[in-house]
Amino acid sequence: MLNFLNQVMPNVVENWSGDTGMVTGIWQTLYMTFWTTLIGGLIGLALGVALVIYDEQGIMANKAVYSILDKFVNVFRSIPFIILLSVVFPITQFIVGTTIGPKGALVPLIIGTAPFYARQVQNTLVQIDPGVIESAEALGYGPWTIITKVYLREGLPDLIRTSVLTIISIIGLTAMAGAVGAGGLGYIAVSKGYQRYQNDITIVATLLILVIVFIIQGLGDLWAKKIDHR
Amino acid sequence: MSDQPIIELKNIDVIFKEPEREVRAVDDVQLSINKGDIFGIVGYSGAGKSTLVRVINLLQRPTNQAAVVKVNGADLLKLNAKELRTKRRKIGMIFQHFNLMNALTIADNVDFALKKSGLSKVERQQRVAELLELVGLADKSHDYPSQLSGGQKQRVGIARALANRPDILISDEATSALDPKTTASILGLLADLNRKLGLTIVLITHEMDAVKQICNRVAVMDAGKVIEEGDLLQVFSQPRAELTKDFIDTTTHIQSSLAVVEQQAIVQNLQPGEVLVQLGYVGAATDQPLITTLYKQFNVSANILFGNLEILQDTPVGQLLVVLSGTPKETQQALRFMQENDVQVTVLKSGDKGGN
Repeated sequence: MLNFLNQVMPNVVENWSGDTGMVTGIWQTLYMTFWTTLIGGLIGLALGVALVIYDEQGIMANKAVYSILDKFVNVFRSIPFIILLSVVFPITQFIVGTTIGPKGALVPLIIGTAPFYARQVQNTLVQIDPGVIESAEALGYGPWTIITKVYLREGLPDLIRTSVLTIISIIGLTAMAGAVGAGGLGYIAVSKGYQRYQNDITIVATLLILVIVFIIQGLGDLWAKKIDHR
Repeated sequence: MSDQPIIELKNIDVIFKEPEREVRAVDDVQLSINKGDIFGIVGYSGAGKSTLVRVINLLQRPTNQAAVVKVNGADLLKLNAKELRTKRRKIGMIFQHFNLMNALTIADNVDFALKKSGLSKVERQQRVAELLELVGLADKSHDYPSQLSGGQKQRVGIARALANRPDILISDEATSALDPKTTASILGLLADLNRKLGLTIVLITHEMDAVKQICNRVAVMDAGKVIEEGDLLQVFSQPRAELTKDFIDTTTHIQSSLAVVEQQAIVQNLQPGEVLVQLGYVGAATDQPLITTLYKQFNVSANILFGNLEILQDTPVGQLLVVLSGTPKETQQALRFMQENDVQVTVLKSGDKGGN
């Protein structure tokens, strides 16, 4: 078995473990994806909910607040990620104490993800029937209950779907971050595979990314389908 | 039905400002609804009905300073947000499109209304079961809204609206998305709740049929104003505004039948002493054998061309299109006799030269 693998992908076997090996790459990719999803997701969710409730039709309609949030999200969504990666170095240094490795990539990843996810959340939640929101107001509920028990509960199946989409896009961003020094599978595919003409490494690293994507997509779809009763 | 107002709306204006113009959705409305009433508000879409009833629980705030919104004696406009929310729990509301949460089972949809009720989990379960029993859906508690018919969904909506034992139920076109048979059963349920629980119901609709079936009082709205208001019987038998007449005609068909009646040969060729009249009568007047009396006492025969009889709140209300024939003098006497006996007489066409 090992002989066979050695023949088909000698470089992969040689670079399987170790500090810059394949296994480390997988962990780095998962590390960046997890923390970005968690922190970027929470910030994005909060921003997205805020965009919905401060909207002109929202339960706490406030033109000024909405306008500020809206512009903020637009600006940060418009900055190409590859530029963001280098521009935020000072902030990264300040927050996490380093600008390299997976940890150093977290700040730009989160800044790149949160506004994107905020729009996704907004687009999902505005589709909830305003009548359902109104009926909750008529039952005497305030904004907090309406957000947690109506918006997030009623929007959950679609929120899961958009979250999956966002996580997959985060995995894409980690690969880009990898190419400029963050590590992970993207770094391995480009720096160790492509640039050193070790094609087997490029292919295996890419396939591993695909596997991660498929698993997340599959689990997300299953979960969303299970709780969707429309 | 007592004479104590449970809802008092005074000087209500709701003006929506749009970039190009102002829309007066509600225009200086005064409304007083008594405890135990089933109060119907009719009007075409865009008349301001929905906006007006949303003022009752302040889902829509009046846009003028002089407005007063009193529910159960409390001036809602003077309450802070938290106090207002507490009051809203005592005003149930049901909607045209039911507005149930798709993600929750029927039982959880009803339970949702009890989150701030202070009841324990067990007490809430009991209350939900009780409510679903009340609306006849006890066996559906674990289903999701998408598995129910429109009528069943509205029953869930009613159960949810009643969860906090409200004094008032606002029905916003609650039967407009339902077929006639389901409409009748939902209206029956509302009438039942009114009797059993003493619930005051404010029912807005564009269907006069719905009002006719269960309301005891009715207001007609047009362009943000209440143009007519009164007891159902009075409005139904003696409508003043043209719009009210139109609405009533959607269920009696008297006006629309008139055109057909006028085409008939007997009406086209009225002889002297013959008149086409519309007779309207309420309650007691129908007990007398009117047509027989006309013939026996005045020798005037009556040819009934169209008739409609409604039973409103157990009182018969009739409208007849009739050709009376006798000598001109006898016919006049007959007409006078009917007027003296509380029959509304409208002469539509006369065979006498120069009219009557």
